[in-house]
Amino acid sequence: MSLRGNCLIFVFFVINICAFVNCDEGTSLDSGDQVRPDSPGLPRVPSSLLVDSFVPLSLMSSFPEDLEISNHCLELLSIFSQRYSDYVKCLVPAARPVRVCTKCYSGYGSLLNAYMNISSDQMGPSNESCRDSLMRSDRLMLVYVLFSNMQDLWEKSNCDFCITEKFQGVNNETTHFMKNLNQTLSCFEKYQQGNHTELCKNCKSSYKGLNELYSSMEKTLCIDVEDAMNMTRILWSKNFNCSMPRGETVAVIAVSSFMLFLPIIFYLSSFLHSEQKKRKLIHPKRMKSYSSLMNIQDKRS
Amino acid sequence: MSNITKKVSWSSRGDELGPVGEGTPLLNGSEQPRHSRQFSEGGSLFQIDRLSTVDLEEEISAEEESARGQPKEIPHNSKLLSLKYESLDYDNSENQLFLEEERRMSFTGFRCLEISRWLICGLIGVLTGLIACFIDIVVEKVARYKYEAIKQNIERFTEVGGLSISLILWAVLNFSFVMVGSILVAFFEPVAAGSGIPQIKCYLNGVKIPRVVRLKTLVIKVCGVICSVIGGLAVGKEGPMIHSGAVVAAGVSQGRSTTLKKDLMIFEYFRRDTEKRDFVSAGAAAGVSAAFGAPVGGVLFSLEEGASFWNQMLTWRIFFASMISTFTLNFFLSISHNNTGDLSNPGLINFGRFESENLNYNLYEIPLFIAMGAIGGVLGALFNFLNYWLTIFRIRYVHRPCLQVMEAMLVAAVTASVSFTMIYFSNDCQPLDSEHAEEYPLQLFCADGEYNSMATTFFNTPEKSVRSLFHNQPGTYNPLTLGLFTITYFFLACWTYGLAVSAGVFIPSLLIGAAWGRLCGIWLASLASAGSIWADPGKYALIGAAAQLGGIVRMTLSLTVILVEATGNVTYGLPIMLVLLTAKIVGDYFQEGLYDIHIKLQSVPFLHWEAPATSHWLTTREVMSSPVTCLNRIEKVGTIVDVLSNTSTNHNGFPVVVQVSENDEPSKLCGLILRSQLIVLLKHKVFVELAGSRLTRRKLQLKDFRDAYPRFPPIQSIHVSQDERECLMDLTEFMNPTPYTVTQETSLPRVFKLFRALGLRHLVVIDDANRVVGLVTRKDLARYHLGKHGLEELHLAQT
Repeated sequence: MSLRGNCLIFVFFVINICAFVNCDEGTSLDSGDQVRPDSPGLPRVPSSLLVDSFVPLSLMSSFPEDLEISNHCLELLSIFSQRYSDYVKCLVPAARPVRVCTKCYSGYGSLLNAYMNISSDQMGPSNESCRDSLMRSDRLMLVYVLFSNMQDLWEKSNCDFCITEKFQGVNNETTHFMKNLNQTLSCFEKYQQGNHTELCKNCKSSYKGLNELYSSMEKTLCIDVEDAMNMTRILWSKNFNCSMPRGETVAVIAVSSFMLFLPIIFYLSSFLHSEQKKRKLIHPKRMKSYSSLMNIQDKRS
Repeated sequence: MSNITKKVSWSSRGDELGPVGEGTPLLNGSEQPRHSRQFSEGGSLFQIDRLSTVDLEEEISAEEESARGQPKEIPHNSKLLSLKYESLDYDNSENQLFLEEERRMSFTGFRCLEISRWLICGLIGVLTGLIACFIDIVVEKVARYKYEAIKQNIERFTEVGGLSISLILWAVLNFSFVMVGSILVAFFEPVAAGSGIPQIKCYLNGVKIPRVVRLKTLVIKVCGVICSVIGGLAVGKEGPMIHSGAVVAAGVSQGRSTTLKKDLMIFEYFRRDTEKRDFVSAGAAAGVSAAFGAPVGGVLFSLEEGASFWNQMLTWRIFFASMISTFTLNFFLSISHNNTGDLSNPGLINFGRFESENLNYNLYEIPLFIAMGAIGGVLGALFNFLNYWLTIFRIRYVHRPCLQVMEAMLVAAVTASVSFTMIYFSNDCQPLDSEHAEEYPLQLFCADGEYNSMATTFFNTPEKSVRSLFHNQPGTYNPLTLGLFTITYFFLACWTYGLAVSAGVFIPSLLIGAAWGRLCGIWLASLASAGSIWADPGKYALIGAAAQLGGIVRMTLSLTVILVEATGNVTYGLPIMLVLLTAKIVGDYFQEGLYDIHIKLQSVPFLHWEAPATSHWLTTREVMSSPVTCLNRIEKVGTIVDVLSNTSTNHNGFPVVVQVSENDEPSKLCGLILRSQLIVLLKHKVFVELAGSRLTRRKLQLKDFRDAYPRFPPIQSIHVSQDERECLMDLTEFMNPTPYTVTQETSLPRVFKLFRALGLRHLVVIDDANRVVGLVTRKDLARYHLGKHGLEELHLAQT
């Protein structure tokens, strides 16, 4: 225990010094087999800012030096916190109508990035792993839980299906759909006043086009597209009442009652015309004697 | 004379019972035949007896007297025994040939036999699993084409109008599939009709149903099932699996096919009824296991149906076959579903997993379950009652194959049009849900993005409908939909069972039950305070399904285990058991089980577990057939040929006697020989004279008897010249020297027990001097049964 503790103290010490020397250039010390952590898109925050933003932390009674979290990790944490709140701020207004994917994809991209930095097992500048210190030190695992909530949300809404890779933007398919959707909705708006039959007639082609486009799209769609389509369908079928009418009741009833009529004829005719199957009775050979009769009578009396 | 005996005994019964006894239908029914028989064949020996009979029975009307000349004809009913059915020879004939063979066989020989038994059971399992897999895949693929085609058609016509064309398309598709299946069954192999469970039950009971375990039957059964399921009838493919398994077993264990005229020269030892029966029970178990993914259920099914011939090693082997069968099905289905090695499809029907939190049940729900069991019993009895009369009508009037095909086609067309009408007029629309993706959602007049909820039950294969009733979320079906569906499907299923198509009744019963069970669940949930989730409709659907199935088929132990295994949740054991128990008790109060009804309507001499309860006063003397056609130990060939050729008697077993005195009286019993053995002897011309003249001739072995098994040639095909008729035949070597015998005084239940437990075919009745006085066969015992008016007697009839 003591040996391990000593080693740790030494390592921390060395790393801290190195960090102070090299941090501002955004690189870490390549010592021995250590790999340079590549952190794409992660801007380095000046250490002064780092101190400012964690004032409340410093109010806490501090632990011995060897258990303190390194500045590097604190920095990563602060970035995470910033992006987390940005993302949530974007999400909430996009809840209804659902636009969580198309509006907030970049927020999720950078949040993911920040989280990746924390959770990668690459060693920081002072040869320590922020994953262990930030994520695995306590039972609560706040960082992990917070992020996995967001991740769940992202996965549940199937956002990957309408965002291009690396969160560059909305993919073509979705853009195309949204364009068509807007056309349809504007058509709806145009004819909304007055008689809905007008609307049903005039917007039918654009609605049908949209419907076909939707069904031709991939099987799993992101929630934005799905919700938009659902809303449009509800508008179309329920609000404007443009569904198919039940038009040919008579024909259906006629055909099916004809079908129902056939078996009756069949059974009647087979009852009347088909000869009834008769069975010939066979008579078994049986014992015939008076003695047995006597015996039975004796027994039963 | 027995009819006097009968008469007196019955009248004395009548006296005891008061006025009812004399007027029982049995009395007249059983008396009439006897008179006419006496007239037709009464020899001089019985002259006095007959006269005395007439004297005694004064109530015989003139009409009956006039009817004596020709055999009486009556319409078919359930109180007949057909002459068509014979017993199987489950009792081993320990003749000298058998003993010789046993002596020749070494220790390793017996070891090899044991190993080959295991091998055969493994093969049975594999082949049964493969057949199940084949059926499943073909049904799934073709049904997909069918439903996709209809769905597209409906979608097209919803818009432009003309849905009646879709209706006709649907009807025609169903129609043509069913036509193919029904032609196959009606014209080529009528025994492949129905589920096959009654037939297998009879086979395991010891009745030889002609052609039931042939390869041709299997082929037609499999094709017929595929056609009728794809044809959209209210049927399942599970019941026929049991029959298929049994045929596979009977075929594999023989190592040859008589139909294909191929003999692999293996497993020759197993070519006899005793061994075959054991394998057939393994095959039936393997079939159940493949159908429901229930290996233990399969073993118990065999146990329940054929338990009188059972031992521990056999059970273990049967279990092995069952396990192999479900594993094979599982494995090959996983390959066909493109995830090899994922063993999650143990059976043809997959109930899905019942493991969610609110599917647990509570103590206070048990009375509810029992009440549902009672409902199931009543509905099951109603089902059986309707089906009983329908079947009688079918046997009497719709007996020509072309009529049967027409009937099946009409049922298919009506099923389609009823389903379509129900879907068309249903207003129950549910939003499409990506989690419980409906396979063929029909929108019809629903709003976009919604589907017609009625269509999920009708517009699908029945297995899928059962599963969606079990597992779809609460609120997927509205009560009106379910109610209408239950009623419609109940009558459709009842109408369908008994058609000339191969199809089972398990799935339709489950479906009816699941529908009304779900209805109960919805109703209970609406009674409970809002937010309470204890009444999950899926759970009640399962209980309803169990109750309905139990009410219809009345199986007990095996059905409980099958259902528990199919749901994969052992905690459901108690409720399912209670439900089946209640359903059986309630149902039996009204009507027998469906399979028993069909066995009865087929006039099969089926022996139940016990003799009728009030039959102890009947002795063998009244039960047995007498006089018996006996053969002498050294008999003239001509006599034997004459006896065998006599079409009016058509006996199968002949007591062998030795003449002690020159009198006419019956001689002493020394053995029993079967018709099949005599035919083989005649074919090989084993005559005493020839044996002397041709010493080089090979001695007849047991193998020669086995080679002729199971299709012994009829006596007409054996040519015996006039000279040969004068030869003698020594039966000593071939007869069974120690047949089971009873005395005349033995009571019916005692004989019954002996017969049932040992699987006998002939039981010789002797007097105190070891002279043959009568012979008891299966039909003599099976004709007594307990009816509404006490003990009733069935008639023997030519069918």
